[in-house]
Amino acid sequence: MISTKSAEKSTTLVRSAFREYYFKYSKIIEVPERIEEREFGYRQFGSGGMFRHLEFRNIGELLATLIKDVPSDVYCSNAYYRFPTYIMQEKQWTGADLIFDIDAKDLHLPCELTHSYFVCANCGNVQKDRSELCPSCKTGKLNHISLICNKCNYALKKEVKHLIEMLMYDLGIMEKSIQVYFSGNNGYHIHISDNEFRPLDSPARSDIVGYLMGNDMMVESIGVRKAFDGFLIKFPKSGMLYGWRKRIAEKLGIDQSSIVKSSNIVQQKGGYNGFKTELVKVTKDIGVRIDPQVTMDIHRVFRMAGSLNSKSGLTKMRCNDMESFDPLNDACLLADREINVEIKAPVKLKLKGQSFNISKQTARLPVYAAVYLTCKGLAEVN
Amino acid sequence: MSIKLGTGDLAKYPFLNEASDYIRETHFDFGEFNRPEMRHIIDRAAERIEVEVSSGTIYEKLDKYEIEILTFLVALMMAKSMGVEPILKKHSLFEAMRAEKFLTEDLKKEKNEQKKRLLLFKIFGELFKVKVDIDYEDNRLFKVKVTDYLIRASHFHEQEWKLINRLVHKGYVYLDADETVRLIRSELSALIYNRIKSMALSTLPETIKAKVDDLRPKLVSNYEYRIHKVTDYPPCIEHALKVMNNGENLPHSARLMLATYMLAIGKSVDEVAVLFHNAPDYNEKVTRYQVEHLAGIRGSHVKYSVPSCEKLRNENLCFATEKCNGITNPIQFGRKLEKRYD
Repeated sequence: MISTKSAEKSTTLVRSAFREYYFKYSKIIEVPERIEEREFGYRQFGSGGMFRHLEFRNIGELLATLIKDVPSDVYCSNAYYRFPTYIMQEKQWTGADLIFDIDAKDLHLPCELTHSYFVCANCGNVQKDRSELCPSCKTGKLNHISLICNKCNYALKKEVKHLIEMLMYDLGIMEKSIQVYFSGNNGYHIHISDNEFRPLDSPARSDIVGYLMGNDMMVESIGVRKAFDGFLIKFPKSGMLYGWRKRIAEKLGIDQSSIVKSSNIVQQKGGYNGFKTELVKVTKDIGVRIDPQVTMDIHRVFRMAGSLNSKSGLTKMRCNDMESFDPLNDACLLADREINVEIKAPVKLKLKGQSFNISKQTARLPVYAAVYLTCKGLAEVN
Repeated sequence: MSIKLGTGDLAKYPFLNEASDYIRETHFDFGEFNRPEMRHIIDRAAERIEVEVSSGTIYEKLDKYEIEILTFLVALMMAKSMGVEPILKKHSLFEAMRAEKFLTEDLKKEKNEQKKRLLLFKIFGELFKVKVDIDYEDNRLFKVKVTDYLIRASHFHEQEWKLINRLVHKGYVYLDADETVRLIRSELSALIYNRIKSMALSTLPETIKAKVDDLRPKLVSNYEYRIHKVTDYPPCIEHALKVMNNGENLPHSARLMLATYMLAIGKSVDEVAVLFHNAPDYNEKVTRYQVEHLAGIRGSHVKYSVPSCEKLRNENLCFATEKCNGITNPIQFGRKLEKRYD
């Protein structure tokens, strides 16, 4: 079992670092639009559940709570309600911002295993290899913990740019309506503030998700139809000059001016069914890898912009310049003073421009690095 | 030169505000329906309802606007006076599909772009607040905002309606005439349904009343038969009822199935709400709210359908027996059974 005393000390370290942050960086907390129509929620250190159905009428009330209660995580609904504090069935939903989540785990990057750890939920033991049960206590389930590296960040940003491109060129969302945030852990949140999209219900958002991810594209929509003796080519009346049709046509070399050329391509892929299989592969490849549940959920509470993420001690931070944004520097805002922590596994990381290569059991680290490792389950205070 | 709707348009689209203006301006009195020359209109209205409700087809005849506007009005009065919800809904739907047919033809054949734009504005814009533009590169195509498209098409079941299977560019979805018009079918149907619902029929002209009396036995029996005949519940519903009666917890999806089924076979909100009394987390206020929501009394005012057998299978709520053979929705259970054992 994880020593209660050690767990308490670790929580005290993280909690006091969070309090200091909320006191010092209150201006980073973003006031959500129409704050009085939002539902808020937060988690407290050491308690599993979330306090939901809260309201704050202004930023002052919210900041007072953050400094007084020092929550481990703070959330705000993407939805607007007439009565945000009522139970869900009685809140009276009036709309919700459209939000996308791109997480490193969904990108299945080759670097992932090099910076992954498996932490036992029971005894806290850390190991580099995946297994069913903890080899140390033989009972605990292992939680997969991943740090973020430059390669992850590069791939994440590339995916964000790909998403933004589709949002702008296909869905017509203006650049000024798109806000990108580092999630505070291993991903990015993309918030859309566009009144046109707010009334959309869950099925409509699900359709957007399908569109962006490249799900369920029919071969008929790019002109390939099933026929009695195989297939025939009949291009759609609306053409293939834009959007997915254009992407697929370019990728597979389909040319709307030549039925023969398209026929040959379909034939090469194995006829109607073979081409269908190929299309599934290609669309999945080109599609954006977002978390579908996040976008489809119209009652979700999201991590508040400017608040700290208890999985890392990093800030959910707005990225004004995606190119130059470095989450391990720009979102790392906890104190610099040094403290001693026990390290559970050798770890390499770079935070706030400083590289750490820790192999000793006890290390003296700046608070931001100590909190980061503690939140990840890779360090504790004794 | 500004273009106006012609009388031919009012004949095809008698639900337009201009058609109501026509009735108002002619100072037409309902008592006039008792005059002999109105018999033709009353017969047409009865025929229209019969074709739609009994045969399940669109009434295709098109006459002069004076005839069509009054026929439309009389048909609404007849549907209302029958007082059977499924007849009312079916009539509304087939009236919407009739208009859909005319509008598609108009959008395809009309050469005058201004006239086409006027029709789009009058029907899509004025009635449903949907802006539809003609594509400037190909005037056979129409473009609607992606959000207007999603609000409607995301509730269609066919895969072709998924956004990914459409040409999407810079916030617009490009559609042909048939597809554009199909988008508003359910709204048009709801518009006609609401017109019928909001009609105040204190006294029905004698001639119409007599025609309704003729028509009623032909149409109503089908529906009354269906509503009252359900005595055997399908196994999925029986299972849910058993779990509920035992005071065990029933998953949300099963509760939705149970409530929508009971509402669909004609149970009242009170009767349905009481079924959940034994649920471990029963809360009268919340249950009633939810059942009212499913019944279309609250929220979006759309009555929820009973989930399909396929959906129930995916959610592990299907307990099919051989009696279920051939049904695709639990609501068909009683009816199919009835037919087989007749």
